[in-house]
Amino acid sequence: MNPAIRKSGRTATKAGAKIEERTLENGMKVLLVERHFDPVVAVMLWYKVGARNENEREAGVSHFLEHMMFKGSKHFGKGAIDLVTTQLGGSNNAFTSSDHTAYWFELASDRWEKALEIEADRMRGLLLDPTEYEAEKKVVLEELSMGLDDPWRNVTELVQTALFPRHPYRRPVIGYPDTLKGLSVEHMRDYYARFYHPGNATLVICGDIDSNEAFASVQRHFGSIPRGAEYAVADCWRPNATEPLGEQRVSMTWPDDGKRLCIAWPSAKVGSKEDYALDLVSMLLSGGRMSRLHRRVVLEEGLAVSVSTQNDARVDDGAFWVFGECSLGTAPAKLESAIDAEFARLRDELVPLKELDRAKRMLAAGEAYASETVSDLAEEIGEFATDAHWRLALETIDKIRRTDADFVRETARRLLTPNRRVVGWSTPRTENARKKRSLGKKSTRKRA
Amino acid sequence: MSQTLPNPTKHVPKLVLPIERFELSCGAILLVSPRPSAPVCAVYAHIRGGPAFDEKGFEGSAYLVGALADQGTQKRTEDEIANVLEPAGGEIAGDAGGLAGTIVNEEWELLLELMCEQLVTPTYPRIHFDRQKRRLLDRLRVEKDDPRTQGGLLFRKLVYGDHWLGRAAYGTIESVGEIGPAQLRAHHAKNWVAKRAVIAVCGDVDPKKVARTLDKLLARFEPGTAIVTSVPKFPQRETRVGVFAAERQQVHVHLGHLGITRNEPDYAALVVMDHVLGTGPGFTNRIARKLRDEQGLAYTVSANIHGSAGILPGLFSAYIGTSPEHVAQALRGFVQEIRLIQRELVATDELDTAKDYLIGSFPLGFERASRRASYMTSVELHRFPADNLERLLAQFAAVTREDVRRVAQKHLHPEASCAAASGPLKKRDLERALAKAVAT
Repeated sequence: MNPAIRKSGRTATKAGAKIEERTLENGMKVLLVERHFDPVVAVMLWYKVGARNENEREAGVSHFLEHMMFKGSKHFGKGAIDLVTTQLGGSNNAFTSSDHTAYWFELASDRWEKALEIEADRMRGLLLDPTEYEAEKKVVLEELSMGLDDPWRNVTELVQTALFPRHPYRRPVIGYPDTLKGLSVEHMRDYYARFYHPGNATLVICGDIDSNEAFASVQRHFGSIPRGAEYAVADCWRPNATEPLGEQRVSMTWPDDGKRLCIAWPSAKVGSKEDYALDLVSMLLSGGRMSRLHRRVVLEEGLAVSVSTQNDARVDDGAFWVFGECSLGTAPAKLESAIDAEFARLRDELVPLKELDRAKRMLAAGEAYASETVSDLAEEIGEFATDAHWRLALETIDKIRRTDADFVRETARRLLTPNRRVVGWSTPRTENARKKRSLGKKSTRKRA
Repeated sequence: MSQTLPNPTKHVPKLVLPIERFELSCGAILLVSPRPSAPVCAVYAHIRGGPAFDEKGFEGSAYLVGALADQGTQKRTEDEIANVLEPAGGEIAGDAGGLAGTIVNEEWELLLELMCEQLVTPTYPRIHFDRQKRRLLDRLRVEKDDPRTQGGLLFRKLVYGDHWLGRAAYGTIESVGEIGPAQLRAHHAKNWVAKRAVIAVCGDVDPKKVARTLDKLLARFEPGTAIVTSVPKFPQRETRVGVFAAERQQVHVHLGHLGITRNEPDYAALVVMDHVLGTGPGFTNRIARKLRDEQGLAYTVSANIHGSAGILPGLFSAYIGTSPEHVAQALRGFVQEIRLIQRELVATDELDTAKDYLIGSFPLGFERASRRASYMTSVELHRFPADNLERLLAQFAAVTREDVRRVAQKHLHPEASCAAASGPLKKRDLERALAKAVAT
């Protein structure tokens, strides 16, 4: 066991912080993370709702609702949340993913409780004023336009759509112009009522606090809010993940000289054994300049300007990603073939112990960075708590240390095969124009 | 000269940031901020000068000297460096300003050792140099069609003209193409010298031990000569317009002009003005409130003069990324808000909000060791007094409504601004929109 982590019942320590889990009677989970390095406190409220919980017609509603959470609640009118936070010398923000939506405050330790007052108020009394709703819709559409100008985002979304043929993970978190335009404020009000309540929330308070006093304050602010609908009742219907029928290839063109490659496989659930094995795979392939892919395609063969991988485990099976930017003089097929060869090696050969140990050490060292600030720590603990269980934040490194080369190879053989993947290319528009005059047109084709 | 400083109006938790300063035997300046229990140690090795010392035709040399310092030293190859640094959670990145590194705290001595080798004895082996140069050239060739990058560069060019601040520190396709290892070695020998180096270390360390360690590691660091600066020349302040045309969804619009240096006496008042006008969090600043919140023109919009202030003048820049049909409205909004803050006193509550934020948010920004190292470097470069943080907070507290109007009138010039746009827009449309915005 990692000596920096001690566990007993509902308490534990990590990175100089004492962690305690408590639950309000209405079901709201509270994680009190006490650390006194600096006079700073991070407050994060997590809701277990994201793009995963949306049906096709409401794509983007989770993220749009996150915007509206700053546009007025019963006691904090439009603009008041930013105003109060600013007057207190604090910061706030929010983000939405496939699996969760989180609201964040960072404040000095003598005034952090204001965040609880704000969060409790907008958990039960969001105004969703129709005028503000329409005004904010324009902002979200501009945000979407901003993303449409990013070639990496475009090719990633193209791959993601093919990777999850029926699951909501196929859709971008921000939604589509037509779904956003088609949403009504009444629809959002219903969505808010279904998911924004204590029974679907985890509150993390991290930093220079007294845990008992902090919990008493949480009870005062949130204790009287009703629990809300059961998650299973509120949630949308989702199909089970299905095994891919074969490799799929998608392509698009972009008006620059870049040749961008994005490959993805359906992968594993957060906290599963495969999740830890894929963390190691990712580190082995692209963690630092001695990693296999970086070394081969960037340093030795000069096929790519950059290459990276990402283990994107989610509540339902997530994805394992590879991103590579081709060197300008290199044929795309050559880069793809070199990447293929490295994945084949992972499937065919055991990773040498020395190399595996190096990857484990690098992942363990990453823990120091993941807990440097109270916000870093709050985010790590809150994300695990919402998507699986907060204790995973304590156990990850031990579980990675216990993962052996056999299981890494087995995971690669099972999950990272050519016939399970989606390969996406974004290539220069002018090159494609010579072949066919379909500028900007996205194409999808399947290969059995 | 002694000066009585006004106290901040409200209590704020005090930020403790101890700094010990040493002059090392080689002539470099060392600053150490001990931080008990810090999980990460950060080291900055700043070399004064940067791209200012790029030779004509070889622009980008200063950047490559820093960026390629990790490709090998007299003691270790690139692989040997990576083999000891990476498993310890270490990272060293270089650019025209020197080297920056982080590592898990218990390995801080290893980080210092590797950074000192790269600082003093980088070798720039030909084979590695050619590979990295090819990567940079490929990146530049892709970037030449990227509206976001080109719009930012175009704006700098309009404001700074031929001064090195008007170009990218990493050079151009043409200039990088001319650079070889010999240029890098020559640039390094001439400019990466101890008397131009400021080293800042923050972590759970003993300052005196850090100083002793560095004295040993930097024994071969050539003292060289201190930097000699000259008065920079920039184009006259007047309206200049440029467009980088590209078919995209949004247009990136920059409006502004030459800004201020960090030693500008009005700095504190301008920071407060910025927060009221265009940088206050969320919708507490006027430009975000009007252009984003009320008019829905953009997701990203801001205006700022203090953020880029350095030893040389920064920029005043108002930025928006918006749909092409909204460009004229956005420019009008920028000019109207600038003129309003020049004409009318800001409301008392607006002023108080900005000041409360600036004073209250200070402890929050210093949790990361890298932030502390960067701050210490800045203290040395600008010769700030030891009590700079307290002094700055007191200066924010003392800013009045009249100060904000005065500095806005003195430092903002919407009628003589440069405007750069990149995206689906024609130059004549931008000229027309700007002329209209200024005329109304």
